[in-house]
Order: sequence, then C-alpha cells, then structure tokens
Amino acid sequence: MLSAAERERYSRHLLLPEIGIAGQETLKAARVLIVGAGGLGSPAALYLAAAGIGTLALVDHDQIELSNLHRQILFDTADLGVAKAGAARARLAAQNPEITVHAHEVKLDADNAVELISRYDLVIDGSDRLPTRYLVNDVCVLLGKPLVSAAIHRFEGQAMTYVPTLGPCYRCLFPQSAGQMIPNCATAGVLGVLPGVLGSLQALEAIKVLTGIGKPLIGRFLTFDALDLRWQEFQFARRSDCAVCGDKPSIRTVQDSVAANESDTAAIERLEPQQLQALLGLAGAAITLIDVREPHEFSANHLAGALNIPLGELPRRMNEIAPDTKAVFICRSGGRSLAAALQAEQSGRSAIAHLEGGLLSWAATVDQSFVVAPLA
Amino acid sequence: MKHLVRIPSPLRSYTAGAAQTYASGDTLTELLADLDSAHPGMCFRIIDEQQRIRPHIRLFINTREVSSLGAKLAARDEVHVICALSGG
Repeated sequence: MLSAAERERYSRHLLLPEIGIAGQETLKAARVLIVGAGGLGSPAALYLAAAGIGTLALVDHDQIELSNLHRQILFDTADLGVAKAGAARARLAAQNPEITVHAHEVKLDADNAVELISRYDLVIDGSDRLPTRYLVNDVCVLLGKPLVSAAIHRFEGQAMTYVPTLGPCYRCLFPQSAGQMIPNCATAGVLGVLPGVLGSLQALEAIKVLTGIGKPLIGRFLTFDALDLRWQEFQFARRSDCAVCGDKPSIRTVQDSVAANESDTAAIERLEPQQLQALLGLAGAAITLIDVREPHEFSANHLAGALNIPLGELPRRMNEIAPDTKAVFICRSGGRSLAAALQAEQSGRSAIAHLEGGLLSWAATVDQSFVVAPLA
Repeated sequence: MKHLVRIPSPLRSYTAGAAQTYASGDTLTELLADLDSAHPGMCFRIIDEQQRIRPHIRLFINTREVSSLGAKLAARDEVHVICALSGG
C-alpha cells in the first residue's frame, strides 16, 4: 500500500496508466542491487531511488577519489576518501526517505556473489572490470535473476538486458574475456556525461522489467557513440553452446565461473613490481623483457634492456624473443602485457610472465622517478 | 566492393581516431585482410591465430550477427566491429 506521502511523491508515475498504483506498488516491493557505485551506478541509483524502488542496494569497496567526481554524481567534493557505498546510501536516503538503502562495502567476488545477488530481484551491472561483469552475469543466470548491463569507454557506451528464459545472456554475446586487452575508464579516459546517459538507461530498463511494461533490450545490443550522437541496435540470439545459459552449460557454480575466467591465463606468472625488480637484479637471470607498448610510448621512457614489440606486431615478431629465456611482458597498466603473454602461451612458449599493473604500478611502488608515457 | 566499416573505440588507435573507415571484400575474410593492409595490426585484434573471431569481439553485417568469416557481403552492406567494453 502506498502512503499519502508516497501517492504525492510518485503522482506523476500514477498518472501514467502503464504504471499507476499497481506498478508503483510493484516498484515499492522490488529489491534492486547495483554493482559498482561509479559512473553508471550513480545515475542509475539516483533515478531508481527517486522512482521509489523499495529496497535499493549498492556493492562497492572503493573510496571516493577526486578523479571520480567528473562523472560519479552521487558524490560531493566533501566526500573524498569516504567509502562509496556508504556515501551513496546517505545521499539516496536523503533523496527519498521512503525507501530502504543498503550499502555493501565489499568487493563482489566468488565468495559473496551468490549470497548477495540472491537477496535481490534484479541486478544492475555498473562495474569497471570485465571479470566482475562475467561473474555477475553467470551468477544472475545461475540464480535466475534479471540483469541490466552497461559499459562505457571514452565516448562510447553499450547496454543489454538479460531476463531468464526470455533471451540471451552477456556471455552469449561475448563468450569469454580472459587475457584480452580491454581498457577501462582509469586507463582510457571517459567523457563524464557518458555514463549519465547509459546509467539512466539502465534505470529505465530496470523499471520496465520490474513493472512488465514496454520492450526491454532482450536479445538486442544497444551501442551509443556520443561524438556522432549515434545509437545502433544489433540483434543477437541465445547460443546453444553458451557456457552458462546454453544447452549443456559448463558453468554450473560460481567456482566454474571463476575458473572459466582464469583458465586461459593460469599458466602465466604474474609478477608484482618488487618481484620483477628482484628478478632483474639477479646475476645471470635468463630473462627477456618485452615492452609491448606502442613505439611513441616506449621511446618516451622504458626499462633498461627492454625489447619493444608492440602488441599488434607480436605474432610476426615472436621469434625475436630468445627461446631459452623467461619472456617477461610489460606495458603501461598490465592489460596489453597479459594479452601478449597469452599470445606467447598459445604460440607454444613456456616460461612466460607479465608485470601485474604495468609500468604505472612499477612507478608507484618501485621507482617513483619513472615517468610513464600517456596512451596518446 | 567497398564497405563502410564501423570501428569500436578501443581499436581506433589503428585508424587515427576515426570511428569509421572503408574496406573492400566480397566476404568478411577479404574485408578484414583489406582493413589490415590499410591499418596494420588491426586484424589481429579482431581475429586470433586460428582465424577465429576473438571472444570479446563480435562482427555484425548491418544489424545481423555473423559467426563465420566466410560470410558474404552484398553491395551497401555495413560491417560493425563491436568490442566488449569494461568501463563503468
């Protein structure tokens, strides 16, 4: 039942026959989990709170940084250093005291994903790591929970909606991610208003799915180019060989999901900067250091003795890496080097490592005088 | 036969930032080869050593998803290269 105050607050919803009293009561009864209180999670949370989602939760283990504020509109400058999930709860509770807001100040991972997601009716994915996206998708499929997914990069966004038994899941579209180089906002930059567009769209999709109105993005992949202001829609179908929602799924538990994301890179040694420093200091260590950044990045600054083979040239230049040495791949932030290591592993090499976190991590922990060139 | 090819932002470093380019071919394989000759290294980011479409990349002819690189292209077909994005 809606109170008198709620009837007034949501009166413009109640005027819409497609929502009305019944739809608003459905929203009040709904429980929605937002993964990531970041650029996408901010507008999604604000609109869902305003719309009267009865129980809204955010899971995020990060603290608010100054560089977040150009797009993460849940937060103010005074919030710097505060946990995102907690600050978001305070902001949303102030915006709409009629709803309940939960803050989960943890990293969503294999240990807690099932327990957390099982408590909610619908999930919004606004995370900024591909492994988390696959984990969220797989757990939603396993638990039969609808998922509204979106992602952003520079000036481009994409979105899709999964509803159990009605259409394909995220993994039907992109079967696997492990080892691929897919930059996030921290490494590639993003126009601040872009997640406002995509995050608002996620809130819209959530309301449609929950109330059963309209035509959600099921089996439809929406892309947005902010510079050209171009929306495009692509049709895609459930894959019978999908690892999680297919006819013979290989992912039946959350542990299977984690294993699927890690299997391709299991043979690759991940070196912390201190470990690489120690390795480089060992007399007679048989290693080849391969910097897979672009030539302009390499020429600006690089580790002594490193060989520059840009990632795109690696397949035809793999033979330049001395065969009896450990191949240690490095790049700016660890994405390209992991992709390079995976290529080396697939080409039949053994003794492969990459620098976790890349030269940015090296500069932050081992050599603070080392200046890492920007991407472009 | 030249076709408009739309490039996802993670691969635009190969096209000097351009969101679209043109490439020739009667099939996706031919089109990708032409794309790579104009933008060296780009093709390897789309297909792997076994000539399979990478699992974080999808190719669409107009709005239709294609899984085979042998898919034929008709006049005025547009090819869309879609890349999984991770930013949030």
